[in-house]
Amino acid sequence: MDLSPFETDNSVSCRLASQIPDVCRTEDCCLGIDEAGRGPVLGPMVYGICFCPVSKKQELKESKVADSKTLTEAERENLFQKLDEAKSYIGWALHIISPNTISTSMLQRSKYNLNALSHDSAIDLVQFALDSGVQLKEVFVDTVGPADKYEEKLSKRFPGIEVTVRPKADSLFPIVSAASICAKVARDHVVKGWNFAEDLGEVDSAYGSGYPSDPKTKAWLLKCLDPVFGYPQFVRFSWSTAQTLMDSKGVTVHWDDDDEDGEKAAQRHNNRSMLAYFSASAGGNDQNPTRQTHRFFTERRLKSLDTL
Amino acid sequence: MSSNTSVTRVLVSSVGEAQRVPVHLMPCEIEHNGPAQVSQYLTATTKDCKLEKTVSFRGRGLKGQELSCPNGYTGLVLKEINKSGSDQEDRTVKVSSVFDKLTYWNLETPPNSDDTVVMAMDWPELAEAIHGPVED
Repeated sequence: MDLSPFETDNSVSCRLASQIPDVCRTEDCCLGIDEAGRGPVLGPMVYGICFCPVSKKQELKESKVADSKTLTEAERENLFQKLDEAKSYIGWALHIISPNTISTSMLQRSKYNLNALSHDSAIDLVQFALDSGVQLKEVFVDTVGPADKYEEKLSKRFPGIEVTVRPKADSLFPIVSAASICAKVARDHVVKGWNFAEDLGEVDSAYGSGYPSDPKTKAWLLKCLDPVFGYPQFVRFSWSTAQTLMDSKGVTVHWDDDDEDGEKAAQRHNNRSMLAYFSASAGGNDQNPTRQTHRFFTERRLKSLDTL
Repeated sequence: MSSNTSVTRVLVSSVGEAQRVPVHLMPCEIEHNGPAQVSQYLTATTKDCKLEKTVSFRGRGLKGQELSCPNGYTGLVLKEINKSGSDQEDRTVKVSSVFDKLTYWNLETPPNSDDTVVMAMDWPELAEAIHGPVED
């Protein structure tokens, strides 16, 4: 699996795909969707699709693809090799959602949550298969959220395709297992060889699985915390694990769209640092009630040196 | 009324020793006064696109651009020395670094001509017009 398109810039998301097998453009096909790396506080979330002609379902089943979570890393690698060898009739595509995209989306002013991000990613991949000429008839999706609503959403979006959304679909439908293997293999590779964009020299690579519950991951997060910047872009800042550590060990950062109660904010502004010179609520005239500062200056946050 | 009774003195002589440094104006308040690994975290991950620079800070997307100081002006970073407890006493600040351009960042919004710091650069020209010598 060549991950270089993502690795050259791992701060943004990226789509990777196999060649489209010719037979998938002429025969009715089924397609499976699964994700890898939804829970971890580190690294990307990877969405994967895998597709093949409906007539090849049995062959796929015999290749013993199984839910990627029940397999060891080596077994997954092997199965991915097998899928790759079957490229005459099996195709795949991945959407690697960078941890930086996850952080900035979830923490955006107008919040874009992980479910929406996941659904959009799945929809993009199905559309990509359609645009590539794959004759899609059946789509199987693994989900963690409520299946009914998601199924309805996808059916509406892709009329004429029979959509099945099921929890644990990765252990029920071989084509979903195959998608899950592609996604998990890609995530494992990316996480293992993470190329830090920050200029941090040698970064300790003992970050474990990336799950917040993994003691190795916890220890790594504690060790790598920078008091001002928090973490490299490898970490999902929107995860409570990261937020809690930054709150307790890092310096406090206030944004103008923070939910902060008025009294607290007022208190803070009475005790302001030089930085407050630039803050949103720095009116011009609060220190000198006898002379109103002209709007020209307050709008530009210009102050005389004496009033700082 | 502190501003009327006390004086802030700038040690202009310290300009000579001050280093020219890259300056970033952030769209947030960071409760920290002191060194920070700016080049390692911020500069190293900043992307230069056609119309704007992009970076993220604490997981939030920032968009910004470089802004030059008005012609004939130098930017100063001032540091208070012997900070006094009372605001009645005179204050002294020294120049800790100088800059002739800065990078300012907006939270998610692309940089534009309505940004406060861009508008602030109108002042020198206006000041010249209203305070400058009158020609006959």
